[in-house]
Amino acid sequence: MIRIQDISKSFDGKIVLEGASFSVEPGEVVVIIGPSGSGKSTLLRCINALERPEQGEVWVGGQDMAHANLDQVRTQAGMVFQQFNLFPHMTVLDNLTLGPKVVKKMTSQEAEALGKRLLDKVGLADKLTAFPAELSGGQQQRVAIARALAMEPKVMLFDEPTSALDPELIGEVLLVMQQLAEEGMTMVVVTHEMGFARQVADRVVFMDEGRIAAQGPATEMFDTPPHPRLKEFLNRVLTHGVSAD
Amino acid sequence: MQPFHFEFQVMLDSLPQLLLGARLTLLVTLLGCTFGFVLGAFFGLLRSLDSFWPRKIAGFYIETIRGTPLMVQMMFLYFGLPLLLGLRMPALVAGIVAISVNAGAYIAEVVRGAIEGLPKGQMEAARSIGLSKAQAMRHVILPQAFRAMIPPLGNQFVISLKDTSLLVVIGVGELTRTGQEVISVNFRAFEVWLTVALLYLCLTLAISQFLRFLERRFKVVG
Repeated sequence: MIRIQDISKSFDGKIVLEGASFSVEPGEVVVIIGPSGSGKSTLLRCINALERPEQGEVWVGGQDMAHANLDQVRTQAGMVFQQFNLFPHMTVLDNLTLGPKVVKKMTSQEAEALGKRLLDKVGLADKLTAFPAELSGGQQQRVAIARALAMEPKVMLFDEPTSALDPELIGEVLLVMQQLAEEGMTMVVVTHEMGFARQVADRVVFMDEGRIAAQGPATEMFDTPPHPRLKEFLNRVLTHGVSAD
Repeated sequence: MQPFHFEFQVMLDSLPQLLLGARLTLLVTLLGCTFGFVLGAFFGLLRSLDSFWPRKIAGFYIETIRGTPLMVQMMFLYFGLPLLLGLRMPALVAGIVAISVNAGAYIAEVVRGAIEGLPKGQMEAARSIGLSKAQAMRHVILPQAFRAMIPPLGNQFVISLKDTSLLVVIGVGELTRTGQEVISVNFRAFEVWLTVALLYLCLTLAISQFLRFLERRFKVVG
């Protein structure tokens, strides 16, 4: 589904990715963890071509991102952002139907039926006509997930989807993500929620200094960390109250 | 010097003629701001693009106009340029062109500021659901930028209205010029300039009320 080969990227001379490679199989749920500044988000953004790597290749759904029609390829990878990035001037339903109508040329009726179905799925069927600012953070993020799903992507990318949320709102978002995973959606998730990683991830990828330092099944990665930096990272994260059970 | 007696009747008597001037002031302002908005939207968009030359061209226009006095621009347009071109446009046309080009430069900065002031995530979110750059502009960026533009636009319209009084130097019979003409006949500077000032105030208040209405009309919830 996704194949990344040796990509490198720097911002203003600061190296963020340095020869990172990894791949994701259809239906797989991959969680990327690592210290801040290790290149997790940049790696994710390269998959969606929001960033272009300076070297290396990114293949999504059998297409080379360097030569693909990006507008078309982007619809295959849905993106969920830390800051939700809902369109504040549109109702919840309009947020969902914009892509289907403009990009996929669906009729209003088709798009609205799809939008309603997806809002129902994320438990917000009663918020159709609300504006984003009238919703809680957790509700906004669930709308953002539904908006990405409305393009019927083959893979969903999550960039720290719960980092901007109040603690009591994290659960509802993780629940929707878990449900998606159970339905067989291919997912790449950058997160600090170790509990989610352990419960849902087929594979955990640990990034450090722009490289993939270690990867493997969640239990293996957490219980017998194969890399000293991972062990150090886990100790730091877990002693700060983020549960890993 | 004779003792001064304020005569309200003078204000009333001069009103019909001054209103004709005010009408021309309003006409120049409306046309100037409309063309100015078109110019400003165009150059503001150019300046917020990523490409080098459009940015440079827009930057040149904006900096040149903002860096020189409107009075000089107007004199150059009406007295200077005809020497090169061999023909002179009517004073009213020159005035409208000057106000448009001048307002356009400031409005371009308003437009650019409104676009660049939006969170970066808006463009990214729009692109990530497959919208092209142009589609994202049309459906996501510009509708939001337009709302952010309304207050500074209103400000610029008020400034442009007052700037039209400079048209006096090229002999356009707008409100200020009409005031001078009335005084040259009745020698009542106090009453006439007071009336002129009140008329300007009415016009600017009308503009800001209209803009406030627009602001409410397009308010984003939250």
